Amino acid sequence: MYEIWLVLNIVYEIALSIWPALLLIALVWVALLVAARQRLSARAFKQACVFGSLVAFMLAISLPALTQSSFANMGYWVDWANLLGVAAGLGAAAALLMWPLAALVCPGNACPVRR
Amino acid sequence: MPDTDLNHTPQPPQPQQRNTRRAWLGGMAGAGVVATAGWQALPAQAARLPSKAHIVIAGSGLAGLAIAHRLGDMLDGAKITIIDAKEVHNYQPGFTLVATGIWPVTKVIDSNAALQPAGVQWIKEMVAEFDPAANTVVTSGGQRIRYDYLVVATGTHQDWAQIEGMDVKAIGQNGLTSVYPSSEAATATWATMDAFRQKGGEAVMTLPATPLKCAGAPLKMTFMLRDRLAQSGMLDKSKINFYSALGNVFGVPKINDAVLERWKTLGVDVHFTQKITAIDIGARRATFASPEGEKTEVPYDFIHVVPPMRAPDAVKNSDLAWKEGPMAAGGWLEVSKDTLQHRRYKNVFGLGDINGTPRGKTAATVKKSAPLVAQHLVDVIAGREPGQKFDGYTSCPMILREGSAWLIEFDYEGKLIPSLPMIEPLQDSYFAWLMKIRMLKPAYMAVLKGRV
Repeated sequence: MYEIWLVLNIVYEIALSIWPALLLIALVWVALLVAARQRLSARAFKQACVFGSLVAFMLAISLPALTQSSFANMGYWVDWANLLGVAAGLGAAAALLMWPLAALVCPGNACPVRR
Repeated sequence: MPDTDLNHTPQPPQPQQRNTRRAWLGGMAGAGVVATAGWQALPAQAARLPSKAHIVIAGSGLAGLAIAHRLGDMLDGAKITIIDAKEVHNYQPGFTLVATGIWPVTKVIDSNAALQPAGVQWIKEMVAEFDPAANTVVTSGGQRIRYDYLVVATGTHQDWAQIEGMDVKAIGQNGLTSVYPSSEAATATWATMDAFRQKGGEAVMTLPATPLKCAGAPLKMTFMLRDRLAQSGMLDKSKINFYSALGNVFGVPKINDAVLERWKTLGVDVHFTQKITAIDIGARRATFASPEGEKTEVPYDFIHVVPPMRAPDAVKNSDLAWKEGPMAAGGWLEVSKDTLQHRRYKNVFGLGDINGTPRGKTAATVKKSAPLVAQHLVDVIAGREPGQKFDGYTSCPMILREGSAWLIEFDYEGKLIPSLPMIEPLQDSYFAWLMKIRMLKPAYMAVLKGRV
């Protein structure tokens, strides 16, 4: 339980250190959600998930280098689990962010406006 | 000093709904850190204890600020005073990262004013004298301040005077380095290491015999120097010699053995029971002495000097210091290793590097001991006996090379105690590296704010 609380606090402190950027992203996302509110279809979500998966894949292969390390330093399964967990988490976030955008660019007949 | 001498009458605890001081708005999604979500911050909505006690905290490093935040949350009506002249708060666990070219120095410097808890009085002077018999401290400006309860969190004194010819201001010149004194010294150390790795030569690393804060730092500096030389292709033109004043390089036998074994494969030679006693900075020569008094002069192109450490004079010269035993020579604070309460002055507690305990001069020690000390202090105010037992938890992310580390956690007995069962302490690990360079400063800030 303590470790979970610690991790939440670490995430909070990281977020606090970049809060202006996070706030901007959140505002843009909410604006996009509002704009796309009648077109948020399952199809658009699938497209966003494809994008999120791509982001996760790119992160999985580039995170060690981005953090001053390399794949040569992946010592045991905990390293791999951590890398994949971070990549998956950020990929999921990217998918959520992309969903309203995917809905907006989705062709009308594929993502019909709900009335 | 018994509690009966206090000018405060302990009051029984009166349950009262704790005021919520913070409502967090945070962004998170696992490690993704993007989505926004609101949640109530505090893990334990404990009742605040009404008290008019005056608590003085000597020191405003991690330990002093963490305990100030916690006591502010746990007590209702108490007066809390921090005494420390320091204006800059250094994230000292990051000094090794600055000194080895991994971090810019800006990442370890914060304003102390910005980190002070609300409602706490901050006296910007140093404690010059402790008079526990009179429940009083005297500041460097001559103020006499009475207290009901005292937390000593002064940190260590770096005793450079024990090394003849040493000049801290010369760090960065003539191959002289040290990660310990300041962020400026850490920056100068990296500049010197960077220059040294371009041409190679004789490197000398030292370790004193005294208790050290972050005792892993001299080892990390050695690992990283070796790695930087390997990166620049200068290993075959270089030699690293490690001089330990002790019979080992680390106090925990399993870690000591693992480091020595690794250094053997990396070509780092170790010389035991060799204590640096003098240095000729201009001539680049260091003098080491054996326990028998035999002196050896060693030339170098690069040297990393680790200062002997002891308690600051104000503690060492006071009745708060150990009077006998292994901690007496350094004047460390005489606290019970279990409760961190002073063994003779029951209204005094110690937190952080100043404590004369078997191990534990790291930020991780403060992380685990600050909640315990805060609770024990509140217990004493409420007339209860301190009931928790500190196991001496200490952690040391041992950087092995750029990109890899060990995540080592241990207790007073030197037993390895990983926080999570899947962590293998002596396994080279990217995860441990990521923890060190990305997650431990946020964790430190959460400890400082009294949340974990």
